[in-house]
Amino acid sequence: MLELQTEQQAKPAVKKRKWLDSEGRWGLLLVSPYLIHFLVFVVGTSVASLYFSFSDYDILNPPKWTGLDNYEKLFEDPLFYRSLWNTAYFTILYVPAKTFLALLLAVALNQKLKGLKFFRMVHFLPVISSWTVIAYVADAVFNQRIGFANAFLSKLGIAPQNWLIDEFWVIPVLVLIAIWKSVGYMMIIFLAGLQGISSDMYEAASIDGANAWQKFWRVTVPMISGTTFLVIILNTIYSFQNFEQIFVMTGGSTEAGSTGGANNASLVLMLFMFRQAFSFFKMGYASAIAWVLFLILLAITLIQFKLQKKWVHYD
Amino acid sequence: MKKRRFLSVLGMIGLAAALLISGCSSQSSTQQGDKVELYMGYSSDPPTKKKMEEIIAKFEQSHPHIKIKTMTAPYDDFYQKLTTQIAAGNAPDLWQSDGTKVFGYAQRGAILDITDYVTKEISKEELNGLEFNKDSDGKYWGVPQGIQVGALFYNKDLFDKAGVPYPTADWTWDDLKAASVKLTLDANGKNADDPAFDKKSVKQYGFAFFGSSRGAFNILKAYGGGVLDPTLTKSIINSPENKKAVEWMVDGMQRKLFPNPADLKAFQSNFKAFLSGAVAMQIDIYAATTSMNGAGLNYDVAPMPKGPDGKRFAPVIANSWVINKKAEEQKVKAAKEWITYWTTSDEAQKEWTEVGEAIPVKKSVANSEMFLNPATKPENKKVFLDTLEFAGTIDTNAVFTEWVKVFTDNLAELFMDKYGTDEFITKTDQGIQKVLDDFFKKQ
Repeated sequence: MLELQTEQQAKPAVKKRKWLDSEGRWGLLLVSPYLIHFLVFVVGTSVASLYFSFSDYDILNPPKWTGLDNYEKLFEDPLFYRSLWNTAYFTILYVPAKTFLALLLAVALNQKLKGLKFFRMVHFLPVISSWTVIAYVADAVFNQRIGFANAFLSKLGIAPQNWLIDEFWVIPVLVLIAIWKSVGYMMIIFLAGLQGISSDMYEAASIDGANAWQKFWRVTVPMISGTTFLVIILNTIYSFQNFEQIFVMTGGSTEAGSTGGANNASLVLMLFMFRQAFSFFKMGYASAIAWVLFLILLAITLIQFKLQKKWVHYD
Repeated sequence: MKKRRFLSVLGMIGLAAALLISGCSSQSSTQQGDKVELYMGYSSDPPTKKKMEEIIAKFEQSHPHIKIKTMTAPYDDFYQKLTTQIAAGNAPDLWQSDGTKVFGYAQRGAILDITDYVTKEISKEELNGLEFNKDSDGKYWGVPQGIQVGALFYNKDLFDKAGVPYPTADWTWDDLKAASVKLTLDANGKNADDPAFDKKSVKQYGFAFFGSSRGAFNILKAYGGGVLDPTLTKSIINSPENKKAVEWMVDGMQRKLFPNPADLKAFQSNFKAFLSGAVAMQIDIYAATTSMNGAGLNYDVAPMPKGPDGKRFAPVIANSWVINKKAEEQKVKAAKEWITYWTTSDEAQKEWTEVGEAIPVKKSVANSEMFLNPATKPENKKVFLDTLEFAGTIDTNAVFTEWVKVFTDNLAELFMDKYGTDEFITKTDQGIQKVLDDFFKKQ
């Protein structure tokens, strides 16, 4: 206390007034659109949804406080565990495969050769296409009757598969399509990282007698570990929040029965939440799902941040 | 000092935010003299939107004291928007609700009980489908805007090619299956009767059913079973009648006479199988005629087949006008004027019939040459009107979407041979009862 007082006294009064009069006021004024947005649409809605998660709220009537009811119900709901597992399974397949592929592509497209711009553009095309378009393209490949995939398999004498309807295939196939759609984006981030590596490093490695593989493994990988870390975090969050793809490809139709794939095999957390809120009028329950999803993501991200000390280099 | 300033700045931001929000949601409820602005919602696609606008213009001409402001969007978006609008308190005064959703809004207290108005001012003799929005307590929640009723659609070309006579009004579900055997063809053109028939490469199916109004529900009912009891709060899945019906369906799936959910999915949408001519018969509702005419199919309709005891059932969905419970008195009055206009004006009814979206609710128009016009397909439109005699709702209640989800998910498992009939019945019975109890026990 005493220390604080002395510190305050030590500060010249003029400086304080200046902060409030000019810079401070201007600063606040300039960021006020953001601040308002943040308070209303981020803090406000989060607080509201936290409150809803402790209430029975059907959207049409005011929420009724029910304490931990929704959370209790959630932890007893087999569909919650099913959707949690589906989400985790999607993430486990998606994040490592996509990160690795994006890095590989970035290294390949970081050469100084003719026509590279064209290839970079081609990889970026699916990124800017909407999921509806992607769904049509994917259907041409994975359609049970007319898709290339089964046509190819039948040439090899393998029986046709039900890809997006089959419980076993649905998540891997969705992951494959998701990777194809967005790998270009992560590749661009890696490209930026790669271009930040000074060519001196590679020259020095060459002088030391390193071959191409050693250069990649000993120079490139450690030098862009910061970028890799960012890509992994982004992909994990994306994977947990994936909704649009699954909604479009395995059940956006109004026929209630078709959402979430066969035996709910592609029912992910976001789809589960959406269905509770907008099809079943259970906004309170959906808010509880949202908060559990948030806590899971927070935990995963914190763990990743802890682990980064072991492998990420910044300099 | 510093802290106080900061707080006042925060307060100002809060105030500004509040102003911003209230500014966004404030409705211009201009009422000069007796003029009422009625806010109306309906789901639409481009042709229905155009037609509705024309009808509204005509209404405004004959009712100069009412000005209609509209909110419209495609089906799914419309209901999402509507739900949030109701929550925010700025929903339309009057909206057109899908028949399956009326009780969902009614039992959650979002729409007005209009029993008085319906019994006093709407004539049951002149209007189709009024009873379908009456709940088990005898209260009316909506007035039909357009009627959807199910029938058996069949592709004449496929019947002709197979040399099978067209479905008749006397058909039972077993007759339908017998015809399906002849109408199901594999890649080599062999039908399901042929010992060489290859179940793995079916390219044409006899009959398809899926979803709620086009699905198994109708077959259960015809067999004397069903899903919910008359109070709509108890599952009656566990019955011998249902078991027989389910076995009938599974047998057809296993013999590949009917496409299973995976087979249907391969057509991109459940509807495409019949539309593309790969399925000879399908249960569908009147609204389907628009897309079938668009696809240039040579088809007609027959009444739904009978069950083993001669019982018949067809699904009906009465899309209805409902009034917001929170609407001001004056607007409720205007809304009723609109509903009266809609149900009694020949002009409005004929205009709406032209888009081919629904069976007219006004009986005189439905029975007129205008609707029954034999020059347009299906020729046998009278089937839809006759069907209304024995049609019923698909057990729509406040948790309809939720129990249908359990029902159709489990059916899909059954049809994909994940488990047998008995397990389906137990699992579905428990699942549906849980959904019902969750809602109705709280009431």
